[in-house]
Amino acid sequence: MKKLVYYAVLFVFSFVIQFLCSKYINVLGIFPNFILLVVVYFGLSKKTVTAHLMGFLFGLMWDVFSTDIFGVRAVMFTIVSYLSGRIFKSFDINEIFSQFFIVFLAEVIYWLGFTLIPFIILGNSVPAADYIEIILTIIIAPAIFRFLNKVILV
Amino acid sequence: MCQRRTSKYEDIIFAVLLLIGFSFIIGRFTSTVNFIKNFIYYFSYSNLSLVNYVFHSVENLADSIKTIVHVRRKNIVYKQKNKELADKLRNYKAVVEDYDNLSKLLKLAKIKNFVSVFARISVRDPSKWYQWFIIDKGNMDGLYNELPVVMFNKKKGAFCAVGRIMETYSSSSKVALITNAFCALPVEIKGKGINCLAEGFNSSLLKITYIPCDTDVKAGDEIVVSELSSVFPKGTPVGIINEVLGEPYIDFKTATAKVFFEIDNVYKTVVLMPEVET
Repeated sequence: MKKLVYYAVLFVFSFVIQFLCSKYINVLGIFPNFILLVVVYFGLSKKTVTAHLMGFLFGLMWDVFSTDIFGVRAVMFTIVSYLSGRIFKSFDINEIFSQFFIVFLAEVIYWLGFTLIPFIILGNSVPAADYIEIILTIIIAPAIFRFLNKVILV
Repeated sequence: MCQRRTSKYEDIIFAVLLLIGFSFIIGRFTSTVNFIKNFIYYFSYSNLSLVNYVFHSVENLADSIKTIVHVRRKNIVYKQKNKELADKLRNYKAVVEDYDNLSKLLKLAKIKNFVSVFARISVRDPSKWYQWFIIDKGNMDGLYNELPVVMFNKKKGAFCAVGRIMETYSSSSKVALITNAFCALPVEIKGKGINCLAEGFNSSLLKITYIPCDTDVKAGDEIVVSELSSVFPKGTPVGIINEVLGEPYIDFKTATAKVFFEIDNVYKTVVLMPEVET
C-alpha cells in the first residue's frame, strides 16, 4: 500500500513537472520530455513490471490530454520501458555518456513509433521530430537520473 | 542506480499492455474507448486543475513577494535621496538667510528668483506653427500675461527661450513664440557683449537686427537674452547665428539665427514665474 501511494505521488509529480512546470522552465517554449526520462529510469532500475505499467499509464494519461491518436504514447512508453530494461542492461548506467546514449536511443525509438504509427494507421505524412526537445532531454538526462536516484525508493 | 529486478511475468505483462494499447489505437472511435478516455480525463482533470490552481497561487504569492522586495529596495533608495535632499534644503535655507541678511546690510537689490510651472501644450495650430500655441495652465495656476515660457534643451542642458504668455484664461494660456512676427527680443551675442534685437518672422528662424557693422559676428555665435529684456531672465539661451548678411554701406548688419528650442518637437514647456516674497 505504501509503495502504491508512493508511485501515485511520483506519477502526479512527473505530470506536474511535465505539464505545469513547462510554463516556467523552457527553452524557446520547448520543454524536455521529463516523462520519457522517468520511464527510461524505471525501465533500467526498478521492477520491470512496475516499469511497464508506469510507462503505459504515463502514455495513457498523456494521450488523454493530447489530440493525437489515443493510445500511441501508451504503446510507445511501454515499448521504451521494455527496451530500456532489455537492450540497455549491459550499459554502465552510472556513466554520463552511457546515459546520454541510452536517452538518445530511447528518444529515437519513441519518435520513430510516434511518427510511424499514425503514418501506418492513417497514412498521414510523417511529421519531423522535435530536435530541440530531443537534445534538451539528452542534456538534462544525467541530472534527472541523479535526482531520481535520490528520491526513488529502492 | 539500483539493481534491476526481473519478473517472470514481465514479457506477458508487456504483451498485454501492448495489446491494450493497440486496441485503443484501433478502436479509438468506438464508444468503449471513448468512455475510457473520457473517464480518465474527468478523473484526472480535476486533480490537475487543482494542482494548477495551487501553482497559480504560488505564482501570485511569488509575484507579491517580488513586488514587496522591489518596493522595499526602492524605498531605501528614496529614503537615501530624501535625506540628501533634506540636507540640501537645509543648506539652501541657510544660504537664503545669509543672502537676505547681506542684502539688507549692504542695501542691495535682490535677484529675482523664479518658480517653475510645468505645462503641457494642449493646442497648436499647424497653420500658425511658428506663431503661438496654448498651454494647459492658466490663472488658476497663478499664471498671468507677459510671463516667460522656456523649454529644457537636453543638448545644452539649460532652459531656452520659447515665448511669452499673451493671453491667460482660467486653465489655459496662449503663448506667443519668439519666432512670431509680432515678437522682438533684446538679445546679445554671448561672450562679445554686442546688443541686438531678435525678431521673429513666422518661420523656424529668427532675424537678428541692429548688429553694429564694425563688430565681429559670425555664424556659430550663440545669442542669449540681454539685460534689456523685461520678460526673460538675463542670459537665457535663445539660438545660434546661422548666417550674417551685411552691406558695407549701411550701419547695421542683419543675421539669421536658429532657435535652441526644438521648434517641431515641443510638447512640454516651463513657465517661469517670479517668486513672490512673503
